[in-house]
Amino acid sequence: MRPLQIVRGTVVALAALALAFTAQAADKTIKIGVIYDYTGPLAGGGSDLQARGAKIIIDHINTQGGVEGYMIEPIYADAQSKPDVAINEAVRLIEQENVDMLLGFYSSAQCVPVAARVDQLQKFMWITTCISPAVLKDRNLKYVFRPQVHGGMFGTSSTDFLAAYSQEKLGIAPDKLRVAIIHEDGPYGSGVAAGNEAGAGAQGFTVVLKEGYAATAPDLSSLVTKLKRARPDVLLHTGYNPDISLFLRQAQEQGLKFRALIGHGAGYGVPDKLYESLGSAADYIFNVDPVAIWLLDPTTLAEGLGDVTTMVGEEYAKSVDTPDMDLKRISAHVGMAASNAYVFFTNVLPRAIRDHGGISADALRAAALETDIPVGGTMLGFGVKFPQPGSAMDGQNTEAFPVVMQYVDRAIKIAWPKELQTIDPVLPLPSSSPFAR
Amino acid sequence: MGRLDTGRILVTLAVIMFACLAYVPTILREGDIVFALTDVYLYETMINGLLLGGVLALLSLGLNLIFGVIDVVWICYAEVVMLGMYAIFYCHTVFGLPLIPSMMIGIALTAVLGYAIHYLVIRHLVNAQPINQLLATGGLLFFFQSAATLAFGIEFRNLGVSLGSFALIQDIYVSWARLAAFATAAVCVFALYLFLTRSYMGTAIRAISQDREIMTLMGVQQGRMYLMTSAIGGGLAGLAACLLVLQYDVHPFVGLSFGPIAFMICVLGGLGNMVGGFIAAFIFSELIALGGYHFDIEWGYVFAFVFFIVMMFVRPEGLLGKRS
Repeated sequence: MRPLQIVRGTVVALAALALAFTAQAADKTIKIGVIYDYTGPLAGGGSDLQARGAKIIIDHINTQGGVEGYMIEPIYADAQSKPDVAINEAVRLIEQENVDMLLGFYSSAQCVPVAARVDQLQKFMWITTCISPAVLKDRNLKYVFRPQVHGGMFGTSSTDFLAAYSQEKLGIAPDKLRVAIIHEDGPYGSGVAAGNEAGAGAQGFTVVLKEGYAATAPDLSSLVTKLKRARPDVLLHTGYNPDISLFLRQAQEQGLKFRALIGHGAGYGVPDKLYESLGSAADYIFNVDPVAIWLLDPTTLAEGLGDVTTMVGEEYAKSVDTPDMDLKRISAHVGMAASNAYVFFTNVLPRAIRDHGGISADALRAAALETDIPVGGTMLGFGVKFPQPGSAMDGQNTEAFPVVMQYVDRAIKIAWPKELQTIDPVLPLPSSSPFAR
Repeated sequence: MGRLDTGRILVTLAVIMFACLAYVPTILREGDIVFALTDVYLYETMINGLLLGGVLALLSLGLNLIFGVIDVVWICYAEVVMLGMYAIFYCHTVFGLPLIPSMMIGIALTAVLGYAIHYLVIRHLVNAQPINQLLATGGLLFFFQSAATLAFGIEFRNLGVSLGSFALIQDIYVSWARLAAFATAAVCVFALYLFLTRSYMGTAIRAISQDREIMTLMGVQQGRMYLMTSAIGGGLAGLAACLLVLQYDVHPFVGLSFGPIAFMICVLGGLGNMVGGFIAAFIFSELIALGGYHFDIEWGYVFAFVFFIVMMFVRPEGLLGKRS
């Protein structure tokens, strides 16, 4: 055999081997149970938007060839806005569909029980959305991780924001500012309200009313009347979508007046619905949430993230049959799940496969614990780092922070922190608002 | 005599309880009787309770009528209201019809739906065990919710129409939509009373509700009466939808907010007794409003449900129901 033939034969054999290896690698899949509320009241309240964001990233990762030789095989499941269904679906996905891990979860009322169950079953769970501190606080869960901002941070962000502007914009010294804290009474609302109360206490505000209500309550007029009696300067409200609309409509009808209203995610994160329900009365409402990713300057983010952000927005616009929509008007919900899912697929999962031997719960956990993404390293602008085991909030991203946004003329603006501002916050409510005092 | 005394005692107790719930917490909190008697927000709460009662009364009216005549509880009644709300929303917002014709179409469609529910489902279960009837209408509830999710999606829809409110006196505002619900409920109870007592059809409906076997022998067409009753009940659900769509977002699960309360009001008033249901709606709503005003809003519902449970022990037949 001539040397050239030997070389040719070796090259062909190597190519065949490589092809076989690639084929084998491409055959490898990571089965992921993706759970959101696709039906029920929470679906329209923001969960469907989150689910779309996560799906866009999963599809994108697969079209890019997967992760370290693994293709993603998502199995989408509907929690139906019910905690019992969420638990059943999580267990079904783990025990019957044999998924390698779970991702998603919109509602804190679902997250609290599901996280404990999944951890008990020793499966990895990556929470993109639900924010209640109760999901992780003092539970020392081993396999549950949340890159998302937690509710306590939501609560203190609004009070920090108020403390910064109370004197300057409202002409009221912080220790004279009267705030009312109202919230839906599930883990989500209660967690944020606890943060509000702690923040108000730290800033010296007077809390004139703090009260929870059932998100399905058919009437909130008594609450409005109590607020009229308490005369708060600022309302700090946490709720889902139907209850927010009902509250604001009844507040408008009953003549409730205040100087500012700050919402905290969920229903307040869907401005289109607020405007549909309230018209221009939704103007100047503030919303505390992780930022709507299209509002950030892409040059402040890690290289390439700006393109992914645009891709997410364009894919979302296509998915709702409005390909020409202004990306800056897309709800923050979409980008939240997209960014948090993207962190997992492009940072945690590759390291688990490369450095920790695969996709087992222990490998994923080890990779998650080593995560150290600096500020600007995610589409949401914040970094990602999890505390070492044994902390009070095991599994909680310590680098996450929300921003305060304001809705003005149906556009979403960043009002806080100052370094990210796209608007000088409109405070107090201008006289054009029916809620203005 | 004994029954009359019981009634008087109950009314007296109710008045005392109402006065206690209305004023005592404020007196205890403020230590000032005059302040409690002149608390403008307390009176706003009472008025809002009264107006909420109108909404609840309207919701329970059709359910009560159907149970009173056909002896079948439509667990899915609030879902018929939900479909009526969707009909009005689509007619007005998507097809661009003016609001009033949209509402009339909504009422007509729910009346047809009521007719269809009886014709397709209930007709076959009239003589079945009550548990089977409940299971069937419970199944319809899930069917309607799922069908609405498939047909209309999960988004919250809003008519974008507000009737606004007016100031009764300083700082007391009254919602036009709730006032309309209150007035409509009152008019409907009166109109239904006239229909059932003064018209031939109404007399036949009442007769058949009293003894379906005998009245059939006397020439009354039971099936026709039932279909008519179901259509009227469906139409009343449409009427409730007209007023709810002005105050609430429309989504496939909106019925969950009202269905259980409407059912409890019917039971409290005496299943099948429309006047009883009307009164029960206002008792319930005042308990919710005043309890929610003086304490955390959830306490209002606790008071209402405790009252309901106590009444089930004291008068299991309901406020104005007849002992069977």
